[in-house]
Amino acid sequence: MDQRDTKGGDFTGTSLLKLTFKVEGADPGEFITYDQSKCNSCGACSLVCSANLWAVKDKAKLSPRYQELCLECAACYAVCENDAIAFRYPNGGAGIIIKHG
Amino acid sequence: MAKYDIAISGGGPGGAYAAKTAAELGLRVVFFERARKSGEKNASGCGLGQRWWRDFPFIMDEIVELDSYREIHFCYFKITDSDDRLVTTISTAKTPKDDRRIQHKDHGYGMTGTSIYRSDLDPLLANLACNAGAELRTSTLITDVIKEKGRVCGLVTEKGEKIEADVVIGADGAHSLVAIASGIRKRWNKDQITLVPQLDFSCNEQRMDDVIGPAELVWFGPYCGAYQVNFRDGFHLGLGQWLDKWDTRPLDMVKRILKIPAFQAMCRSVDAELREYQVHLLPWMPHPGKSYGDGVLLVGDAGGFPCPLEGEGIWHACLTGRMAAETAAEAIAAGDVSEKALSAYERKWKQSAVGREYEFGQEYVNLWKNSAFDPEFMKKMVLFLGEVQSLNFPSPVFDWSDDHMKTFNDHLGHLLDLLPELSDFANHNIVPLGKGISTENRERIAGMISGSIKKKLPRIIPQRVIRSVVGRFLGLA
Ligand SMILES: Cc1cc2nc3c(=O)[nH]c(=O)nc-3n(C[C@H](O)[C@H](O)[C@H](O)COP(=O)(O)OP(=O)(O)OC[C@H]3O[C@@H](n4cnc5c(N)ncnc54)[C@H](O)[C@@H]3O)c2cc1C
Ligand code: SF4
Ligand code: SF4
Repeated sequence: MDQRDTKGGDFTGTSLLKLTFKVEGADPGEFITYDQSKCNSCGACSLVCSANLWAVKDKAKLSPRYQELCLECAACYAVCENDAIAFRYPNGGAGIIIKHG
Repeated sequence: MAKYDIAISGGGPGGAYAAKTAAELGLRVVFFERARKSGEKNASGCGLGQRWWRDFPFIMDEIVELDSYREIHFCYFKITDSDDRLVTTISTAKTPKDDRRIQHKDHGYGMTGTSIYRSDLDPLLANLACNAGAELRTSTLITDVIKEKGRVCGLVTEKGEKIEADVVIGADGAHSLVAIASGIRKRWNKDQITLVPQLDFSCNEQRMDDVIGPAELVWFGPYCGAYQVNFRDGFHLGLGQWLDKWDTRPLDMVKRILKIPAFQAMCRSVDAELREYQVHLLPWMPHPGKSYGDGVLLVGDAGGFPCPLEGEGIWHACLTGRMAAETAAEAIAAGDVSEKALSAYERKWKQSAVGREYEFGQEYVNLWKNSAFDPEFMKKMVLFLGEVQSLNFPSPVFDWSDDHMKTFNDHLGHLLDLLPELSDFANHNIVPLGKGISTENRERIAGMISGSIKKKLPRIIPQRVIRSVVGRFLGLA
């Protein structure tokens, strides 16, 4: 990351999504699954995802890189009123590390 | 198959406190945490209120020794307008009364709160439980509950291992598997849960001491409000909204604050560096949900316990954890862990200090829902707060733009223009809170008002009549 981005008080240019950490080498498993046949394309999952991992054009689609980028907030599950999204946390000991939570 | 008295899902504050209490009561208890170590998955403010000194004084003695600890006495509201200009700073106060309210070892703590990172706090609480004799299993995800004839009687791990227990406690946070799998509730409604993105910054400790001191900040403007919790050498900036209220991407909302010049200046003044981006759900509702079932109890965020006014929830998690473990111990001793027997838990927390938090729950929640999430309303609110502060001492003394009485009247006129626009809000959201004023204080106010009215009225109207009219106006019998 460019040092300029994180100093001097102006952080508007910083890429926030890069400021997350993961347990190295641990398999998180398939912890988000979804059923497009239940999706009515309302777009709620895509709006609330803080990591911008959902795209809803015709039907909701999750980024294939979600295991590495997901912030584990469960908001996509919580917001989908059609039960199209199933969420369980990653396998124990895997996934995100919050260092200064 | 291992058999325990109590099995707990979650190794955060609620789970740790339930485990500690159960172990101290001599029960065989295990608690499970999906992270490699407690706290490693958790993000919050993380401010501990003054009452921690009253309710957990011996834990506070250890918390003050932790690396990220900062003592907090004040909160400064930084009010900015639609052009991101600083309008005013409004501060909380500290009086001698505060020092007398909560005392510990002859020291007053009535306005002494604490900021501490969860990576420091959660391991401390988990250790207290382990030292009391509870078993902690980390890196273990709970994926289901065991149910027999409708009764929850254990937990299932991701590896399929079954853990049998007389009572299960769900301390697994906002997205609680135990709550849903045991059938106590479904997912929260979108108006019961908030999403809170948050940034963590490192900073220079000495500068934080010198420039900001023992204080938290709130950035308050038409974009709604963002909190800044200050730790020893770092701080959090975060903001939350109910899931049915988001109309902007969370990431863009956070970035909105980063643009404010006064925020940038603050960052420069403490040598801030951006360090981490986090996001977490936080239940925020007028009253907790159902907190018990057949063989199962919910504590902390799993039960929806955070404060309906400001979302504080760690204190609630610890206290409900304690009460759940006590209830479970009594039920196990009596040989009855049915839903009916465990409903004693709800009566217990309702009668405790935790229960009093929700007496005005609906009013507290309305206060935010009808204000902070409406940018047009917030614009007016910012103008109003600016005018209030312009009329407040010492502003009239320091405004030398014209003679003092003229500038005072300018501000007063503008304030009076704004009042009708805000009176609807006040009538619906502030006035209902008036019933929270104690009878004793209402009687004193009634006494003062009727006394001053009496002086202005002809003597023939008896004091008794005036007092009764004023009393009725103030809701006194
Ligand atoms: C951004 C933010 C700011 C906040 N600020 C404050 C504040 O300043 N002060 C305050 O008092 N409160 C604050 N809160 C609220 C506070 O964080 C919560 O109320 C509190 O953490 C609740 O404690 P808990 O033990 O119930 O749940 P949590 O702290 O969420 O703990 C649950 C634990 O269970 C684990 N877990 C979850 N599911 C499983 C599973 N299936 N298997 C195994 N383990 C599992 C998690 O990893 C976690 O460690 C804030 C919340 C947020 C989101
Ligand atoms: S929230 Fe559910 S229904 Fe709406 S777009 Fe996403 S998956 Fe589809
Ligand atoms: S859990 Fe949160 S970060 Fe992960 S995909 Fe869902 S909404 Fe996005």
